[in-house]
Amino acid sequence: MPWVSILILVPLAAAVVVALMRDRRIARVVALAGSTLALAVSVVVVASFDRGVAVMQQVDHLDWIPSAGVSWDVGVDGISIWLVLLTTAIFTLGTVAACQRLPEQRGSVFLGLILLAEAGLLGLFTAGDLILFYVCWEFMLIPFALLIWNWGEGGQKTAGLVFVVYTMAGSLLMLVAIISTGIIAMDHTGGLSFLIRDLQGVAFGEATSTILLAGFLIAFAIKIPLWPLHGWLPRAYSQAPLVVTILLAAVMSKAGVYGLLRIGLPVFPEGVGNVVIPIAILALTGIVYGSLLAWRATTMRLLVGYSSMAHLGFIVLGIIVLDRMAAQGAVLQMVNHGLVAAAAFVIVLILGRGAGTEDMDRLSGLAKGAPRMAVAFLIVTMAALALPGSNAFVGEFFILGGVFNQYAWMAVIATLGIIYAAVYMLRMYQSTMNGPVHGVRDDGRAVEMTARDAIVLIPLILMMMWIAVWPGSLVGATRASTDMALAPAQLADGRPVEQIGILPARAALPATDHPEQP
Amino acid sequence: MNAGAALALYVMGAVTVLVLVLAVTPLGARGRRVPEVLALLGLAATVAIAVAQWGERQTAFSGELRVDRFGLLLAILIVIAAGATILLSWGEPAAAGRRPEFTGLVLAAATGMMLTVMSGDLVTLFIGIELLSVSLYVLCAIEVARGQSLESGLKYLITGAIGTALLIYGFALLYGVTGTTSLEGISARLGAVGSPAPEPLFIAAIVLVVVALGFKASTVPFHMWTPDVYQGAPTPVTTFMATGTKTAVMGAFLLVFTGATHQASGDWRVVIGAVAAITMVVGNIGALLQDNIKRMLGWSSIAQAGYLLIGVAVGTLAGTESVIYYLFAYVAMTLAAFAIVILREREVENGDHVEALAGYGRARPWAGVVMTLAMLCLAGFPPLAGFVGKFLLFGSAVDADMTWLAIVGAVASVVSVVYYLRVVIVMWAPPPGGRHEVRRLGVPRAVAGVAIAAGVAVIALAIWAQPVLDVCADAARALMIP
Repeated sequence: MPWVSILILVPLAAAVVVALMRDRRIARVVALAGSTLALAVSVVVVASFDRGVAVMQQVDHLDWIPSAGVSWDVGVDGISIWLVLLTTAIFTLGTVAACQRLPEQRGSVFLGLILLAEAGLLGLFTAGDLILFYVCWEFMLIPFALLIWNWGEGGQKTAGLVFVVYTMAGSLLMLVAIISTGIIAMDHTGGLSFLIRDLQGVAFGEATSTILLAGFLIAFAIKIPLWPLHGWLPRAYSQAPLVVTILLAAVMSKAGVYGLLRIGLPVFPEGVGNVVIPIAILALTGIVYGSLLAWRATTMRLLVGYSSMAHLGFIVLGIIVLDRMAAQGAVLQMVNHGLVAAAAFVIVLILGRGAGTEDMDRLSGLAKGAPRMAVAFLIVTMAALALPGSNAFVGEFFILGGVFNQYAWMAVIATLGIIYAAVYMLRMYQSTMNGPVHGVRDDGRAVEMTARDAIVLIPLILMMMWIAVWPGSLVGATRASTDMALAPAQLADGRPVEQIGILPARAALPATDHPEQP
Repeated sequence: MNAGAALALYVMGAVTVLVLVLAVTPLGARGRRVPEVLALLGLAATVAIAVAQWGERQTAFSGELRVDRFGLLLAILIVIAAGATILLSWGEPAAAGRRPEFTGLVLAAATGMMLTVMSGDLVTLFIGIELLSVSLYVLCAIEVARGQSLESGLKYLITGAIGTALLIYGFALLYGVTGTTSLEGISARLGAVGSPAPEPLFIAAIVLVVVALGFKASTVPFHMWTPDVYQGAPTPVTTFMATGTKTAVMGAFLLVFTGATHQASGDWRVVIGAVAAITMVVGNIGALLQDNIKRMLGWSSIAQAGYLLIGVAVGTLAGTESVIYYLFAYVAMTLAAFAIVILREREVENGDHVEALAGYGRARPWAGVVMTLAMLCLAGFPPLAGFVGKFLLFGSAVDADMTWLAIVGAVASVVSVVYYLRVVIVMWAPPPGGRHEVRRLGVPRAVAGVAIAAGVAVIALAIWAQPVLDVCADAARALMIP
């Protein structure tokens, strides 16, 4: 069965059906069924995933516009497999959260758009064709933008437009870069093809490679967002309905870093050497700057949003230093950050609804009336600041270890981000949970976690714990693919051979042939 | 040589004359639909003939007319646009007293457009363009009781006349350089002597023809009439200008440049490329500040002409193929957008104002979906036909070493997102004051039919892009490989 194609089509079909429903109750059931079914399909995909294979597997290929070299080509590899599962899991929980507080106005369309965004993201994470990648990249933009416009909070309508224009500015240049890549590669391969696997072995030469890579990097940097291109983030995160913010922060924010690792490094290895230091500096700036913004943020939502920018900086750093360990950490951290950001925003959602405000200065002492909430909040806080024993600790340890191997000074600066994380996360926890009760009635019982909230929050915490206890279950599957993604760039940049996991010519061989992780 | 080859044109001409005769015939209440029905039947017959004639090139009247896959395909598109125009004006209250004239003039313009794209000679091409222009001058002003309509017709007439003068002057120079008016003859002559690059007359001819055709296609620097005329003309006529005229004039561009003077492409590539680049930028920036949706679509059609010219500027087979594909996409999305505007205009006063669409998506979801599709498609969002078209056009530019043109196009497209999406935002936002201000008149079925068909087309053209592209490639080859 073409499971990966089914995976994308299930939410797409569900979206259309749900959006057409007039009855909100039935729409809810269909939306939940659709997202759960997608989750089930993704579990099937994960279950039949072969950890030894580095290249894309379970590939479904269908010609779309053969004369222009465009095809429907989807599959999974070690880099995308967990992101696919993360997407379906977070969207299932997001749909549950959305169903619990369905907007009064046109709730069925709201659910339909969420499912549409899910289909777009799943397509993005599985695309093996650059044009399909671009199509999904843009496709998910519209549902997200419509969700922000129509159900946004705060009355202003600017966030959605700013979000779209920012993203389009980057992505249309990426389109030109994609077209140029395909056409320039034609001189080397003979036929016009936008398949990533066809483009991987093409020797573009350093100059061409750098220019093409730059076209992609602008799009990725805006989506990540990398400092200084983060202008859309505070607006979008604070004006979107919170359920949508959860999806933006937990899943969509991975699109840019995923593109960097899936396309940027493997297709343009010769150009990567020129951008390592500039991108790393931007990432480091983002880590420090995002942390400082998070520290001074007044609302819980903005605090988590800015912290997310800092965490994405870590992931970018992990990818761009071209270190095997750091890259595995980066992939792991994509999943970790997805879970932690989702959990943090769910807590903001519960607190904000119960207390009527997300302003931290107006709340304190909530733990007294909401002990269960306090426990959950504390666990998420500890994970967000990467306390040893938490899932994020593993990821950040991998990243920092790898970065330290390559550029020790970067690791030193990046560590600042971990220190700041403790500052701002603890500030958020302390100022809302501890201290004298303030800003709520009944000692804050209104913010206590109810069974409805637990349905969303507990699975997230369980998944975080799973990774904390057994990170190897994830990393083992990603190793072969991240090694293969890095190898050409490492070679082109002249890294020592013992640091390279896979030599490109042997990429298709099973992973057992490769030296074990040092 | 085969005079029967131009059968499609004879049918169009005959139906046109017949419908115009009906204008002076008292039809009575029972016969008031006769002109439209007759016109639609004539158009259907024309499409049938075009499909039946699909094949190798035939000529008629000593090569004055060329019936080949290129001309036939564009003719089909023009007929579709004309048919949609008649349906969109079905039951239009404003020009109620002049139905036969209106319908007849639409047919006359369509005949001119078909003549243009099927011409084998500069003279025929000129006659075709004149026939379409003169018909449209009158059509713009057909609502004689409305000042704006008259003004629009007059403006179009004056600017159009300048364009005509420049066109005939350019053709004359081209004749002076090559010694023939036949498109094939020009091509053969340029092929024999190579590019007459140092010939200043030839450069002057090229510039004049680019400028003159640019008048009709509304490209910079002669685009200024477009927003005014688009706003003032009756909306179905605006629709026809945006779709039919654009198709015919792009066909003329391809015939004269990519087809006839291909050997000298080095002389005109940069000229047309520069016009395309400036047109995309100016059109998209001009559209930003428009509050009237017809004006906005006017500016947008300027920008779209710029995108289309990319494919002319590159002068390659891939470029021609992309232009033809994009014309199909463009006609579909423009019809969808204008159909919704017409729908709204019939319901409220000032229905062509962007604010009149406030909350319309909530009141009539299907119309909201069609308009959203049209706007996203015009903005080039995947996976719609507009995206595939832009992808092909940009691809042809990169392929022909004109990457800068693709980059300008991409940057201009970013600007366009703002105004296209503004319509989408307004449509789905709650109406001001929370009232669903929809007069339940009942939706005119003909208009709704066009809207939905066009909405389906923008998706279908993208999903089944390859079969459509195969046909476009056939047409492009017919143009470029005699």
